[in-house]
Amino acid sequence: MISNDTALMAHLLRRAGFGANRDELESYLEIGYDGAVEALLNPSDPGNMPDDLIRRYHVDQSELRDLPGSSAYWMYRMISTSCPMEEKIALFWHGLFATGYSKLNQARSQLNQVEMFRRSGLGSFEDLLVELSKDPAMIVWLDNNENHGASINENYGRELLELFSMGIGNYSEDDIKGCARAFTGWTLGNAEYMSVRAAKDSIWPYGRIAWHFDYREEDHDDGEKTFLGETGRFNGEDIIAIIVKQEATARFVATRLFQFFAADEITEAGEKTIEAMMATYFSSGYQIRDMLRTLFHSDYFKSEEARFARVKGPVEMVVGAIRMAGNYQDPYLGIEGVANTMFYMGQGLLRPPTVEGWHEGAEWIDSGALVERVNFVAKELSNVSSPGVRSIIERLEAGADQGVLQPSELADGCLDLLGPIQVSEETRSVLVEYASRHGDLDLNGHQPGDQAEQRVGDILRLVAATREYQLA
Amino acid sequence: MSTQTKSSEIVLDYVKTIGIVNNGYNGRGFANPYDIAVGGDGRIFVLNRCDPLRASAIRVGICNLEDEYLGEFGRGFGAGDEQFAWPVAMVLDSRYRLHITDEHNHRVTTYDTSGDASGNASAKYLSHWGKPGTGDGELNGPAGIAVDSSDNLFVVDQHNSRVQKFTSDGKFIANWGSFGGGDGQFNLPWGAAVDKDDNVYIADWRNNRIQKFTNDGEFLAAFGNSGEGEGQFQRPTSVAVDPEGFIYVADWGNERVQVLGPDGSFQMILRGEATVSKWAEAYFDSNPEEKAERDISNLKPELPAHLNTPYHISSQTEPYFWGPVSVSLDREGRLYVAETNRHRFQVYQKR
Amino acid sequence: MTTTKREKSLIVIQLSGGNDYLNTVIPYSEGKYYDYRSTVNIPQNKVIPIDDHYGFNPSMGPVKSLWDEGKVAIINGIGYQNPNRSHFRSMDIWHTAEPDSIGKEGWLGRAIRDIDPQGENVLTGINFGRGLPRALACPGVSVASVGDLDTYGLFPDVQDEELRMFTLEAFSKMYGGAAGRDPVMELLGQTGQDALQGADILRTAPAMYSSSVEYAPDSLAQNVKSISQVFHANVGARVLYTQHGPFDTHAGELISHAKLWDEVAGSVGCLMDDLKEHGTENDASILIFSEFGRRIQDNGSGSDHGSGGVAFMIGGAVNGGTYGEYPSLAEAEQIEGDLRSNNDFRSVYTGILEDWLGLDAAPIVNGQFEKFDLFKS
Repeated sequence: MISNDTALMAHLLRRAGFGANRDELESYLEIGYDGAVEALLNPSDPGNMPDDLIRRYHVDQSELRDLPGSSAYWMYRMISTSCPMEEKIALFWHGLFATGYSKLNQARSQLNQVEMFRRSGLGSFEDLLVELSKDPAMIVWLDNNENHGASINENYGRELLELFSMGIGNYSEDDIKGCARAFTGWTLGNAEYMSVRAAKDSIWPYGRIAWHFDYREEDHDDGEKTFLGETGRFNGEDIIAIIVKQEATARFVATRLFQFFAADEITEAGEKTIEAMMATYFSSGYQIRDMLRTLFHSDYFKSEEARFARVKGPVEMVVGAIRMAGNYQDPYLGIEGVANTMFYMGQGLLRPPTVEGWHEGAEWIDSGALVERVNFVAKELSNVSSPGVRSIIERLEAGADQGVLQPSELADGCLDLLGPIQVSEETRSVLVEYASRHGDLDLNGHQPGDQAEQRVGDILRLVAATREYQLA
Repeated sequence: MSTQTKSSEIVLDYVKTIGIVNNGYNGRGFANPYDIAVGGDGRIFVLNRCDPLRASAIRVGICNLEDEYLGEFGRGFGAGDEQFAWPVAMVLDSRYRLHITDEHNHRVTTYDTSGDASGNASAKYLSHWGKPGTGDGELNGPAGIAVDSSDNLFVVDQHNSRVQKFTSDGKFIANWGSFGGGDGQFNLPWGAAVDKDDNVYIADWRNNRIQKFTNDGEFLAAFGNSGEGEGQFQRPTSVAVDPEGFIYVADWGNERVQVLGPDGSFQMILRGEATVSKWAEAYFDSNPEEKAERDISNLKPELPAHLNTPYHISSQTEPYFWGPVSVSLDREGRLYVAETNRHRFQVYQKR
Repeated sequence: MTTTKREKSLIVIQLSGGNDYLNTVIPYSEGKYYDYRSTVNIPQNKVIPIDDHYGFNPSMGPVKSLWDEGKVAIINGIGYQNPNRSHFRSMDIWHTAEPDSIGKEGWLGRAIRDIDPQGENVLTGINFGRGLPRALACPGVSVASVGDLDTYGLFPDVQDEELRMFTLEAFSKMYGGAAGRDPVMELLGQTGQDALQGADILRTAPAMYSSSVEYAPDSLAQNVKSISQVFHANVGARVLYTQHGPFDTHAGELISHAKLWDEVAGSVGCLMDDLKEHGTENDASILIFSEFGRRIQDNGSGSDHGSGGVAFMIGGAVNGGTYGEYPSLAEAEQIEGDLRSNNDFRSVYTGILEDWLGLDAAPIVNGQFEKFDLFKS
């Protein structure tokens, strides 16, 4: 029977990670829920596929000139990391501070931004906003390189307030102006040359030239500004210090974290949890880690209401299935094709469609995307030569009475080991009926790829194709 | 910039840069060059590994020091004749035959580049040999390749952690090596070279050193260890040895080239100093506004702390080597450094 | 003989990468062309003349034949103000009809929504190729992306046909569950059923199709063949989209560009023959476009990203001829070394939406644009 501890841990790992296979689940269970939360929130050595190996074989991931290789490079990290929360928080900020390849044509710099999210994404929101404002990919994306003391460009100043912190209704047009003025001079090295290259998608003559932050003092408007009722000769950091003090900012951060890590829809209980996270925001000095700790320890998060309350995004679908199947542990010729499937499902890494990021939740689902989603996970998890699937077969055999499984045990076993996944009675009955097609399954003496193993693969395929599997 | 120690016995002068990125399927320029082979007749063969988006463009390009693009050959991605999946290295033997390794197809492809008297701008496919496995003569990820004075080939059999010696037709002669860090052991080795005494040098990639063997595989010496200091390496990918015994190493992970003396003593470091090539000039002629901005830019900027690694520095400092994956020599004392991420090679002349 | 009056369909062939206008419709009688394109040009005696001034690229034989039949409209100097030379951005602009801000909805996605507001036919719009182009994207609008028509649908990797059928049956039961549940599960159920139904219908298309036309083996020709199969299966597909490339000919252009147009012209020729054979020549029109043209001066081996380009509208119901003006190569007329466009692409969209698909164009293309008289009434 599925213990609540196991189900709860699986739930935590679907949220703070990309799900977990039974081995991973058991090692987290050993340190207990609280221990797991701490381990996840304090990533140490990710132990991911080494960079030198990736770059030796994947010449495109060494250069990062184009998008497919660059997406695959990040995907390798997500697949092989033992610190999934690090990747999840990077993905969260990537969706929130959505910076798109289409305008930048600079994957190396975008991946540097992602690295910054890993480095600073669980720390202070104030520090994160400062790093973001200095991130050259963001600077070009929102035209802050065109924001000069002598002629202001308000794009970054506006979006910083509208989309990256307080949200509309919490500041005035004058505040936007003050904000924009404070960020004048925050640009990138060789801004004009880099800008021309980005606009033309220039790779000439010798490939791409990556970006770094440059502060042009002479371009900075050092005058007095008024921002949210305070006055001073503010520079960017000062504006950010004021922004993070606002309750609207606390609410914004808490709500977005909640929707990504807890549930797509906010119920009354969810609302209370958000308020608790807001309190932590202030008491901890704007620490994201602390807010997530509050969330993961909340009654709401641990309750039934929060289970499977999110639609998995394409990245979670693909990476989750690959991690479960244990595939692509070594450099693989054709990996960028695998990474492209996330794009076909509607979430291309490094290319959010606009600065508003992706529309998540139910909006991930349309018939084209659903076909891609189902086909990918079904294929991944039905392949009995994948290490993760073999592991499932071994466990099924070990847990079977004399190595023989009745159809309902086979179905329940697969649901358990792929999750545990909760399904409706109707779904379960279809799975059992399907499993009954060939009667009891005798796994004794099973050989790689034989009929018995294929039968397990067939059930896994159908489980992966359920509606419920689409949810996290 | 080149740094030479006071006691350096060798001087290398930068000559020029040849190349431009070509993200299409044919024509002048390179697409992630992985190795170079220089013929005695002035032809320079460049192996384009190509990125997967344009895998059908995998080919060998031919140019010369006068920046003429003479031609190309190869039939792109695949397992058929003249096709490649992950081509790694090439070597020209004494009969103008060009041997190319493919670490995914586990084989060596041979072309005849002798051509006719008018300086052939192509090459004739001869054959390919090699099959996957661990037995004698079988290959698992052939990477570097070198040739000795008898036209025997030494193929670095990377995943079998060994070096294998073949005739130029692929008939197995001998092999040596096993996985590990000791003398004569290897860890994902990559490049190979042979000196005028027919000794064999191997770039022992993950052991961060160069190993030297006799022609029969007897261990002679190991040079270097892990690090970014002088005489240290970080994933050396390629090695070349000149007639005086100076050892040139593509220190890929450190984004530089190092030169050691015949005794392995540190001589110098080259960081790369690329200039605008002839093909690049033609590009700028038709894109003047880009040239104008480039001319007032600082192509060697100072970088913040978190970007202060050789890889990141090279990604933002265009003149520096970025992905220097191969070093080759010609008979006039010239060094050719192929940079896979910059789609060019830089030429130096030994004084 | 009764002919059922069928709804008009739009077929789009997107040329990805920036098709070189100057070497597609060639101003062969202009000296400046040969001055600027000293290397990357088409010699006068190789051009297929349309008239004394302009001619087609030598690979465009089938297009010339159609031109002679009056079925080809050439829209010269098409583009938009403040040209953007980045592939992604410029293509997004063409896809969303939004040059000035970042649009989220595709013009054809909106068109499909207007055609089928209740979403009753999930096959109203179909993309041939994987990955839905933004042009077809619109929240709430289902568009199938068919990578390979013969294997399209769920569980294509299951080789055993019987097993696949059995699995599809189970899928259908799982997704057909009771109503009145959780709205997300409801949405998933409905969407799953739509996908199954769409796939079922699409899978019958190749079997129902018969034609004497032989399409070439290249990927575009195969996609265009699939388009023909689905179009003639009468499943109610009004927008059929595909793309070809890469037209991004920065190097080795003459060879690459010739091959690409060989494929495009060949595919279009076959498709028109196919439509003719089925008597549906007046029921489909083909739009061919690219996200920008290329620079006037070549770079010695190819040409780089430019601005103003050329588009084509081809079909039995198209008013053949030239529209817009061929941009001048005079230096004073150039935009930083690029051709200056003289008509906004949204004009062509407006004509297609209003005169061909019978829709209200202004809300779709975010404005009023004067259209060309591209279609026979």
